[in-house]
Amino acid sequence: MSKELITVMKVQDTLIVAMPANPDDATVTALQEQVLQAMEQFNARGLVLDISAVESLDSFFARTVVETARMVGLMGGATVITGMHPSVAITATQLGFTLRNVMTALDVDRALDILNNATRRKGGR
Amino acid sequence: MSNESQGKGEVRIDDESHIVTVRKTIRDAAMRLGFGITDVTRIVTAASELARNIFHYAGTGIMRWRELADVSRIGIELTFEDHGPGIADVGQAMLEGYSTSGGFGMGLPGTKRLMDEMEINSQTGRGTTIVVRKWRKK
Repeated sequence: MSKELITVMKVQDTLIVAMPANPDDATVTALQEQVLQAMEQFNARGLVLDISAVESLDSFFARTVVETARMVGLMGGATVITGMHPSVAITATQLGFTLRNVMTALDVDRALDILNNATRRKGGR
Repeated sequence: MSNESQGKGEVRIDDESHIVTVRKTIRDAAMRLGFGITDVTRIVTAASELARNIFHYAGTGIMRWRELADVSRIGIELTFEDHGPGIADVGQAMLEGYSTSGGFGMGLPGTKRLMDEMEINSQTGRGTTIVVRKWRKK
């Protein structure tokens, strides 16, 4: 089983992760652990998960994304999903996914704005 | 692994990574048949759900695809066959929110919504065959 390499970048206080186009389940699962470890290690305030390369979001992938956002939330961070293609949004919705409680943005720039505002409101760093 | 000729092909599923092989194979096939990007994504996502079902519930199985054509339309048919435990109650498995695996229970009903046609044949202890089709106008 070949896991793809995923890079977690830290920009200021935020983690940025770009998902590969066609990740297997092991890669998606590894991403979750890697992100949570990086949250702790870098004392990050949030996560931007860019899925602009992702070609299809099936129920396992979508569930893991929602779970990861919830876990990041438990650690005191906020998650913004960015770059969802129209075809992926249509398909995920028809499949039955709402991405409840997960913030989304068109691109990473807007995601960083959202996270900055969220932090400022909390009296942030 | 993937084994293809023009207009049909098959992928054996006995490793988690084969779910990715199924997705790639079906993406290539659906694009070659001229489906638009949204329908390609629907078909690939449905294939991913059904391939994962085989891997998780039956362990091994096979996915076959073939091109369909009639006077006014072109289609793709995917058949997922396994000799696993079978689905005890197909009616219940098609209910929204039902799952035996701790999933979200949207696998089968969600997959049906993504495709135009879906047929399930399952016998407890014998296995499951699921056929799905998607059509486009010529």
